[in-house]
Amino acid sequence: MILTLFMALIVQLSFAQQKTISGTVSDENGLPLIGATIVIAGTSSGTTTDFDGNYKINASLGDLLNFSYVGYSDQNITVGVSNTIDTTLKPDNSLDEVVVTALGIKRDKRALGYATQKVDGESVSKIKSSNFVNSLSGKVAGLDIKSSGTLGGSTNVVIRGSSSIAGNNQALFVVDGIPIDNGNSNTKDQKTGIGGYDYGNAASDINPDDIKSINVLKGAAASALYGSRASNGVIMITTKKGVKRKGLGVTINSSTTFGTVDKETLPVYQKKYGAGYGPYYQDVIGIDINDDPIYWEDQPNSNPSIDNYFTNADLNGDGNYTNLFTPFTEDASYGAAFDPNLLVNQWNSIYPQLAGYQQATPWSAGANNPNYVWKTASTAINSVSIDGGTEKSTYRLGFTNMLQEGGLPNSSIKRNTLSFSGSHDLTEKLTASATTTYTKTNGQGRYGTGYDSNNVMQQFRQWWQINVDVREQQQAYLATGENITWNTKSATNLNPIYSDNPYWTFYENYETDQRNRYFGNVALDYEINDWLSVLGRFTYDTYSGLQEERTNVGSSNVSKYSRYNNNVAEYNYDLIFSFNKDLTEKLDLNGNIGTNLRRNDNSNILASTNGGLNIAGLYSLSNTFTPIEAPVEYEAVQMIDGIYARVGLGYNDFAFVEGTYRVDRNSSLPKSDNTYDYWSVAGSLIFSKLLETDLLSFGKVRANYGIVSNGTVPYNVFNTYGIGTPFGNTAVASNQNSLNNLELKPEEQKNWEIGLEMQFLKRRIGFDITYYDALNIDQITAVPVSNSTGYETVLLNAGTISNKGLEIQFNCTPLKTENFKWEANLNWAKNTSLVESLADGIDNLELGSFQGGVSINAAPGQPYGTIRGTDHVYHANGQPIVNQTGSSSRIGTYVVTEKNNEVIGDINPDWTAGLSNSFTYKNFNLNFLIDMQKGGDVFSLDTWYGYGTGLYNFSAGNNELGNPIRNVVTGTPGNYGVDSGGVILSGVAPDGTTNQVRANTNTYANPWGWARAANKQHVYDAGFIKLREASLTYNFDSKILDKVPFTDASLSIIGRNLWIIDKSVPYADPEAGLSSGNVQGYQSGSYPSMREIGANFKLQF
Amino acid sequence: MKKTILTTLLIIVLASCQSDDQYENLNRDPKNPTQVAAEFTYNSAVKSLFDQMTSTNVNRNIFRLLGQHWTETTYTDEANYDFTERNIPENHWSELYRDVLLDLKTTKETVASDLELTDSEKSARIAQAEVLMIYTWQQLVDTFGNIPYTEALNEGILLPIYDDDTVIYSDLIDRINAVIPNISGDGFSTADKIYEGNAAAWSKFANSLKLRLGIRLTDVNPTLAQSTISTAVTAGVFTSNADNALLIYEGSTPNTNPVWVDLVQSNRSDFIAANTLVDVMNTLNDPRRTVYFDQNLGAGIYSGGPYGANNSFSNYTHIGEVMHLATTPGVLLDYAEVSFYLVEAAERSIVGTPANAEMHYNKAITASFDSWGVAGITGYLSNNNVAYTTAAGDWKQKSGTQMWLAMYNRGFEAWTAWRKYDAPALNLAAVSELPVPTRYTYPVNEQNLNQVNYDAASSVIGGDNQTTKLFWDVN
Repeated sequence: MILTLFMALIVQLSFAQQKTISGTVSDENGLPLIGATIVIAGTSSGTTTDFDGNYKINASLGDLLNFSYVGYSDQNITVGVSNTIDTTLKPDNSLDEVVVTALGIKRDKRALGYATQKVDGESVSKIKSSNFVNSLSGKVAGLDIKSSGTLGGSTNVVIRGSSSIAGNNQALFVVDGIPIDNGNSNTKDQKTGIGGYDYGNAASDINPDDIKSINVLKGAAASALYGSRASNGVIMITTKKGVKRKGLGVTINSSTTFGTVDKETLPVYQKKYGAGYGPYYQDVIGIDINDDPIYWEDQPNSNPSIDNYFTNADLNGDGNYTNLFTPFTEDASYGAAFDPNLLVNQWNSIYPQLAGYQQATPWSAGANNPNYVWKTASTAINSVSIDGGTEKSTYRLGFTNMLQEGGLPNSSIKRNTLSFSGSHDLTEKLTASATTTYTKTNGQGRYGTGYDSNNVMQQFRQWWQINVDVREQQQAYLATGENITWNTKSATNLNPIYSDNPYWTFYENYETDQRNRYFGNVALDYEINDWLSVLGRFTYDTYSGLQEERTNVGSSNVSKYSRYNNNVAEYNYDLIFSFNKDLTEKLDLNGNIGTNLRRNDNSNILASTNGGLNIAGLYSLSNTFTPIEAPVEYEAVQMIDGIYARVGLGYNDFAFVEGTYRVDRNSSLPKSDNTYDYWSVAGSLIFSKLLETDLLSFGKVRANYGIVSNGTVPYNVFNTYGIGTPFGNTAVASNQNSLNNLELKPEEQKNWEIGLEMQFLKRRIGFDITYYDALNIDQITAVPVSNSTGYETVLLNAGTISNKGLEIQFNCTPLKTENFKWEANLNWAKNTSLVESLADGIDNLELGSFQGGVSINAAPGQPYGTIRGTDHVYHANGQPIVNQTGSSSRIGTYVVTEKNNEVIGDINPDWTAGLSNSFTYKNFNLNFLIDMQKGGDVFSLDTWYGYGTGLYNFSAGNNELGNPIRNVVTGTPGNYGVDSGGVILSGVAPDGTTNQVRANTNTYANPWGWARAANKQHVYDAGFIKLREASLTYNFDSKILDKVPFTDASLSIIGRNLWIIDKSVPYADPEAGLSSGNVQGYQSGSYPSMREIGANFKLQF
Repeated sequence: MKKTILTTLLIIVLASCQSDDQYENLNRDPKNPTQVAAEFTYNSAVKSLFDQMTSTNVNRNIFRLLGQHWTETTYTDEANYDFTERNIPENHWSELYRDVLLDLKTTKETVASDLELTDSEKSARIAQAEVLMIYTWQQLVDTFGNIPYTEALNEGILLPIYDDDTVIYSDLIDRINAVIPNISGDGFSTADKIYEGNAAAWSKFANSLKLRLGIRLTDVNPTLAQSTISTAVTAGVFTSNADNALLIYEGSTPNTNPVWVDLVQSNRSDFIAANTLVDVMNTLNDPRRTVYFDQNLGAGIYSGGPYGANNSFSNYTHIGEVMHLATTPGVLLDYAEVSFYLVEAAERSIVGTPANAEMHYNKAITASFDSWGVAGITGYLSNNNVAYTTAAGDWKQKSGTQMWLAMYNRGFEAWTAWRKYDAPALNLAAVSELPVPTRYTYPVNEQNLNQVNYDAASSVIGGDNQTTKLFWDVN
């Protein structure tokens, strides 16, 4: 380079009559590139840019200028009439990358001793998801993304497995140096499946259209400078900035997708049997002389084969109870077989408001099953940005509007994002910059979750009558505005008993929410001299939210209005000195010394009406039936202050070594132990320097060791009392359920990692492989203890959990011609988690216990997240044992363990992978991503109950004798009747011989549902193969664009979640869950996946 | 310029470095106190105890089902004795240890360290808390058998051993003997929602509780039973319904009777009268049916749902109106219960002679009628199937059946009367075909969190099963 410069100077002297071209060379973020080379093609004449990226060169009209910079693609520009040529170089992904590491420090990727993985902004903005986090799925090895599946719901983001037993395992998001809160404000009830709404994770406020690039820091060494909070890995996001250029750059992006429900993830209903749990409905028609009831079903005129399935009435007074009524309270479908000749008074006959009042109708399956409620969803995202710059300034202003209509009625999310970034050179050495983003999100009608009647999927998947026509329910609600439910207390008491009319739920019992968020930074950057600079920066991220929930008068739940206001704020004050000095020609010393002061402020208040509402439809706290209880308040401030240093040494672009050290003081720990330090070392060798061949284009080994320590959250040290609602005019206070700890110590993660990266044949093919081993010790854990201690949990430094794993990235360009290019990338990751120990004597830590009697656990010697519940009892030959005797509903069913703490599943996948392929032909680009998960278990409460209530198609088929399985078992073992129903379960008798005993499957107490099944029967392999994304893009030709005032235009047809190629979880999306957080592996009232197809149009001028 | 910036930034750094105390203060919760008056925790414990013993929430308390007074309609798991689906034993155990015993222990400690109280005030207040602790410990033993006792409620012991139930009973009797003399007029008064500080009433309550402790032991430790019962009765037990240990609930949540929450507020129809209870009462033509039950099937028609079966709500007798009132009191111990114990004490000639048994029997039933406000006691007592001299069976059967009938608002005691006196005959649960459990199985989380001690206790009591009998339940 020095030689080039020297030559250029000579050349410059000899051609004096040329004109002077000047300009700026900047990177993709608008930052000046220092030392970029500009050469006049075909000559040796050239120059380099100065510290501000500026250059001057003498050239003639028509000369071709070649701009180049290490790690960036070359650019050629012909000299025209203008004397100014500004340009932006784009990083060349096929060559060595410049990556943004901790604290926003830009590094040459070659020099890093740890694994990072970059995702460019295009791959999350082209095929947009309303929550950009979802777009990362399958794109980064070791990054586990799991969306809960509801409209605007939260997404679980875990890097390299769960490292904290009971604490936060979510990755940290950092946008332009601004740490972004990614919490969710979901209640504990919501997270454990009891009920509530999923309000989404806060990182979804990040606007994909503003993202330039994403870099994922995975291990402790990579993130150590961030301090304790980065122990779960960091997702570094760099946003788009203005560029020093002439004129105004305008980018318009418009994307619209339509979502239809994927039928593979919905129930398939049977069509043969209607309401009931079995033949249980006997009618008392009088009382005998002994005061004993007289049952109609015992009378000579009764037909028990029908009458026992219905409730009867004698409407005409002839003494015959021949007017049949649906058993309205019974939310199951083990009732009478459908028979169009049988007339029954169904739900539509008992409401005087309805036209069908007092009219019996044919007994048949509802014309529209619950899948009818799903309509086409849509998401429209429109954005416009303008950017530009002058000699001294750059700016970018962006606006994005998102409007998402959910697949269920009355559900939508709206989001507007306004962002501005700018920088200005105050002096030659001092640059001021600022960014700010304002996001306003409004949600309405987010889907109810968990085991709650406001989650319609609870009734659709678990408790339903097949005879009900959902469309008719819809019409009944729309015509009356009333809760006309199929599930009344009786034929005369029309109050809902368990389930509401689903449309009543949609339109009356909905939530609304809003969030106003501001985040940004203000920074001053000063170049002290050519090797030392200092950055002072203030970053902020604040939001305030309001969540309002409603249940109208007339619902099965107590009517209610509640409001939850929360305020979350984080402020960071950074002062960072950066140095970079060539000690000798070959030895380069660089590093940082800095300090970070962090403040987190949280406050929230939850208030709700008590005992119901007085006035229907009025949602106000004053509209409370009985005096309201005091709202629940929370207020906390946390301070974490750190000092840190990083020193790196590079030798001849061949060997690199660096170390970091940081000390933190954290207010969440006891003052005796609130200061802690930790460190990391990393090194790498670019061995290809030694053996450069045509075959091996690049080769590097790297290794690192890092420790990160961590504090906890406020109020874990001192014990307090919880104050309750006064009773009898005397205050009430009780010990908290968790015992705090005055002697907490910081917890620690120790992590080592080695990696090998090799590229062959001019980078046509290559791989990057990483092995890591992370050990988390002294985990601050609320350890569940015997409640006879008086506490449920005790906070301890207890528990060691390890995560070991392998990550492989493989890249390949199988075909590359002038017009055609095929690129393939594979990300593959395997993480093995192991809970090595808990507190002394504690054998298991329950992360969550759920309806259905199952729990998610961490137990020593087992992976983090085992599912426990009841299992079959197995014979020595491994086969489940089947009851050979017992009552009619017990015989032939599996023997189930008495205890429900058998390990029956493991939520951790065996491995995950993402395979992307990109085909480019001339201006067309076809891209698709296949996302895979192998293994990992999930328990389904939906089938646990739904198989008992007989909703699903398999429960109404025929057995091997050709008879309906719902027929009663006739005959005896070995001698069953030719008309016998029931099934023979695969398994063995207690003596180990093959089971030959039939089980009755004619009532809810069948072998599949909760009454007889083991929890184990409802644990499914959550593995899947999905066609996650696909896009076909046409980039308008520059020849066309030359004739219009546009510089760049493209049109894409895009699709997300297009096809579930393979899965094992029946009738549901294996990825569906409750919420982000540590409790995974449980489905309850889960929502189907939406197949989204649409178009994206992008225009730049 | 350079200096200015550096100085500025340095000032920011220095200004934000704060003292350790300032850091620590951020860890002190401004919304929850670290110290509260003893009255607060006492009031909380009392309410938690009444709530737990009164509730009919299927997650917390299913004693009304175990006693077969009620049964379920559509969802019948609990009536069929499925304890694990909803972790019912765990919830009962936790409520009593965590929300009752620990808060009572704290109450005692706060009182003991209160410099503003006289010694007499301290001992009187501690005595009230102690009596309620003894009551609660007995509930736990009578539910589970061996339980953590000496090592329970201790922050330093996370794996408490289980103590032998027989030994715990002896200790409870020692404790009640020790505390009775300390009951005086200086106890909690306005914070005492049971007796408003009335020491005489507390004394009767303590002695009645002592009587109950003694009665439980009559089959297994006659000597201790004898001394305990006789000294209790001599000192003075309940003599009328006015002495009953009641808690008057309020009209709005969370201070309503918990049964109201489940029967009325929930808007559900989960419970109906069980045929077990209705059949017995129909046979006896029991006038209490008008209060216990609703006449939804027609005037004078009562038909209980077959116990444990899937029952259509509209086809069977509903629960009576009194259980649907938010303000219906909860009861810990009442005069009827005490009188039934005196029947046994008389029959065993511990207090009085068998000749006195009929008097106590009649008083017990009368007390029950009076407490429900039901007329017709004279006719009922002269019913051949009721009258002590003519009713079928031995004294255990007669008194046991009538006690079971009287404990309608006290599911736990109804179930316990059956365990103690083996009367009346209860039904097998229709779907599971299981017999009535004689104890709760231990909480599932004890298996996970305290396994070694759990295993030891399970084996000592003869297996952690529903049908393992408690030490005093030898018949």
